[in-house]
Amino acid sequence: MYKALSDVFDQVIRECNEHNAQFQSLIRKMVEQNLDIETTRNDEHYGAAVHHLSLLRNKRCLMAYMYNRAEVIQSFRWKIGPVLPHEIQEKLQFSEKEYFKNHSAVIKSYMSEMDIDLTVDMVPPKDPYIQVRVLEDIGEVSLGDHSISLTKNSLHFLRRTDTEQFISQVTSSVLVLPGHEELEKPHAF
Amino acid sequence: MSSWEDDDSAAAAAAAAATTDVELLKRAWRNEKASPEILRFDSALVSRVREQIQLLEETLDDFGESGVDDLVVSLYQMDLDRTLFLLRSYLRLRLQKIEKYMMHISKSEDLLSRLSQQEQRFAKSCTEMMEKHLEQSVLSKLPYGYDSVTRQSLSSTEDDMVPEPQLDTFVFCKTKSDVGAFQLDDIGEEVVDLVADDLYVLRYKSIKGLVESGQIDLI
Repeated sequence: MYKALSDVFDQVIRECNEHNAQFQSLIRKMVEQNLDIETTRNDEHYGAAVHHLSLLRNKRCLMAYMYNRAEVIQSFRWKIGPVLPHEIQEKLQFSEKEYFKNHSAVIKSYMSEMDIDLTVDMVPPKDPYIQVRVLEDIGEVSLGDHSISLTKNSLHFLRRTDTEQFISQVTSSVLVLPGHEELEKPHAF
Repeated sequence: MSSWEDDDSAAAAAAAAATTDVELLKRAWRNEKASPEILRFDSALVSRVREQIQLLEETLDDFGESGVDDLVVSLYQMDLDRTLFLLRSYLRLRLQKIEKYMMHISKSEDLLSRLSQQEQRFAKSCTEMMEKHLEQSVLSKLPYGYDSVTRQSLSSTEDDMVPEPQLDTFVFCKTKSDVGAFQLDDIGEEVVDLVADDLYVLRYKSIKGLVESGQIDLI
């Protein structure tokens, strides 16, 4: 994900408005000459068509740019979690941050309606137990009937379902040994 | 002779296994994964699987209290974990597909009817969010006539800016039973004989009906 190109973006918007002004003035010219806009094929008509098509092209590019970024932002909810790390936050525009927040809320409300957490279990489970190494201090964690202390660099053999909440975040605080923490690859539709 | 009997009993066991709800869910999951468009949501199946998951969880709790062998417990746990994964992955897959084609789905009654109640709400809110976002970031800055989210401009006669699934993509599929001579196109120039348990690579569009009626599985 790159920082949003707001300068270029504004430039293209300005270009769009310029195209539109030119387009309008050419159409006006034709109207002043009492020509039928639908059927006349003179210089003004083709000029207007070029401005119109350029505007459409610019619009498609702008939309594709924002839409693709929005798709990446959607995937963050699945890959990273409801809170984005600072280095991603600062690359987003205001509207994109809003979108992420709203979109997360929609997923959250779906999960609470269905009463199921879909952000865990991203990889097919192989074994009910996994060996993990703790990357950052997490502290005392209660697991069902007992609690363990997850201190930095300690090794544990735990139930997979108990550790999942620490693994699912990209800024992972727990490392799975031997590495099978790859996220579920979205199938190419 | 005995190997014949073995084969028969194995086949019978496989047939019995194929009818369990988990197997059905696995099939639905596989079809959903391979199909370019969203398929019909089987609410009854999902709620049955959820009941079974709950039952398994209760059984496991009972095991914990009565001190059953750890190995047995971990086998049950594994079974539970796998079923849970399947369910989550299935629901997740559908949400991601809805995210991808939200506008296309939201404007078609037929497609909307394939979603569960919750998914319909999800699709609706998702579309609203996306439209609001695009409106804020791009469309509100464009001149009048070019500010529609679904059309390129006022002169477009139909929605030409909505991402749609590619239905004529090729899919791998396996027939469950004999279908017989099957017509792949509208004019009947391409006909293929679909034999039971055979593998094919065909255009999704042409076998769509067979997938929906459950005569063929995508893989």
